[in-house]
Amino acid sequence: MTRLRSAEAASPARTGGGAAPPVMLRTERLSMRFGGLNALNNVDVAIQSGEIRAIIGPNGAGKSTLFNCITGVLRPTSGRILFAGEDITGLPPHRISRKAIARSYQITNILPGATVRENVRIATQSRHHAWSLLRHHRSYTDIIDRARDVLAAVGLAEKEDDLAANLSHGEQRNLEIGIALATEPRLLCLDEPTAGMSVTETHAIVALIRRIAADLTILIVEHDMEVVMGLARTITVLHYGEVIAEGTPAQIQADPRVQEVYLKT
Amino acid sequence: MTRRGLAGPAGYWVGFVVVLGLLTVAPLVLPEFWRRFVTEILIWGLLAMSSDLLIGYTGMVSFGHSVFFGLGMYGTAAALLALGPPNLWLALASGLVSAAVVAAFVAYFATRLRDIYFAITTLVFSQIFYVIIFTWTDVTGGENGLTFSQPPFSLPGLWSGRFTPVTLHWFVLAVVTLSYLGLRRITQSPFGMVLQSIRENEARTRAIGYHVERYKIVAVMLSGLFAGLAGVLYAIQNKFAAPDFVLFLVSGEAVIFNVMGGMGTLVGPVAGAAFFLVLREAFSRFFPEYYLIPVGVIFTLMVVFLPQGLLGFLRRRLNA
Repeated sequence: MTRLRSAEAASPARTGGGAAPPVMLRTERLSMRFGGLNALNNVDVAIQSGEIRAIIGPNGAGKSTLFNCITGVLRPTSGRILFAGEDITGLPPHRISRKAIARSYQITNILPGATVRENVRIATQSRHHAWSLLRHHRSYTDIIDRARDVLAAVGLAEKEDDLAANLSHGEQRNLEIGIALATEPRLLCLDEPTAGMSVTETHAIVALIRRIAADLTILIVEHDMEVVMGLARTITVLHYGEVIAEGTPAQIQADPRVQEVYLKT
Repeated sequence: MTRRGLAGPAGYWVGFVVVLGLLTVAPLVLPEFWRRFVTEILIWGLLAMSSDLLIGYTGMVSFGHSVFFGLGMYGTAAALLALGPPNLWLALASGLVSAAVVAAFVAYFATRLRDIYFAITTLVFSQIFYVIIFTWTDVTGGENGLTFSQPPFSLPGLWSGRFTPVTLHWFVLAVVTLSYLGLRRITQSPFGMVLQSIRENEARTRAIGYHVERYKIVAVMLSGLFAGLAGVLYAIQNKFAAPDFVLFLVSGEAVIFNVMGGMGTLVGPVAGAAFFLVLREAFSRFFPEYYLIPVGVIFTLMVVFLPQGLLGFLRRRLNA
């Protein structure tokens, strides 16, 4: 895993002394309206460098909308998104990706007709030699080596020659994370990584997220409370597009508003 | 070919050499009519391969390839009629530049749209150029097109002489073979892998950091350039440029070649072109009036029972 990102300068969190780690991602009064619906309403969140932050909330709370705004799929109606201090509001998805923000999808979103290795290789390639037209892609061994490192990290090294469409659901979810990792992100947004997984598979993916978290800042949307409590030190609760609570797992569990929201729905 | 190519599966290269050998001897053994026919198949095959880069590899169906083919023809005609003594290479360059300019224009606008909207836009553009060419009689000869004499084959400083049907066939074969190898290399390059990623999942390709529109523009331009090259060859073989070849019917045939032969294989569309042209020739001898009906029936049956096309089953091996 150490070769995944050659430049390790990205995480001052672990090099800093007693000072609070710098903010990796900040949204300022972020709003997204669809017609009359406020999917996000003045959302302010600040995610520190190196942390694992969970976003929870009932269905329709605006979690996926938040992800889509951060990753450029949606252009926010108002407000700003700052990544490492830089305003990235409204940039298209490919520019966001190049800023080192990667995402995985709630509904598996891979290249079904390509092999597992090719799925990851093409993501790695987006950072190197993408515009080469006259050499065979296999002659760029640096990319293949990187892709293999990623596959080893997500536990798919054995399956690299299989068609992605032929993987089990759990393996496809791992591949989903592998593709995101292959773009060498500093911030990884995981949209329900354990959706539809068995208990065993869920444990494996939690272990995987812990492993890769050493090098990354992670933003995770998740329904499985056990997963959330196990991974995140800070949890943000969204409800009808607004942040209604933020704190440690213990604080969140004790928060009367959160209990009210979850009991009602 | 390069070392990398030879390192590939041996079976592929054996097949390549056998087919190339057969096509090389073909004009020496075939009677005049069929000799000409095989040369034409190669030219239509090149058009089919060029559109395969979009249809089969990028997942964009173009119904406007006739405009690139046609501009290749008219560019050739322009160079042969307007500039000094007829020069083959000048004609080739002029045809390619004409096709490239139109391809850049179409690519810039059409790639903003996806799926059926892209297809319709390419169709609309090709029809616009058709109308311009058809009505601008002073320059294009209008309905009658332009005729010219065949330029001699010349290697500057080395050799020069008139084309015979056999040497013309070899010239076409050489251009088409080099184009095939070039297109094959492009589809296997990192760039080509991005095109295939766009075909498989455009949104995901965007999300991993590719500026999809830019790749599409380059794909359309490359495709248009090779289609233009086919037009140049056809003009040189037939010594004319005519508006019929800018009409959408030609574009439709290019799509049919792809579907019949097997999209995303490059050689499949060439086989599709050969199969289609042979069918049409055979039926037109027996049913001079209604030959398109049996051809259409066979095409429909193939789409239903052989959706992969003639060579679709070889897809993995042909792209290895």
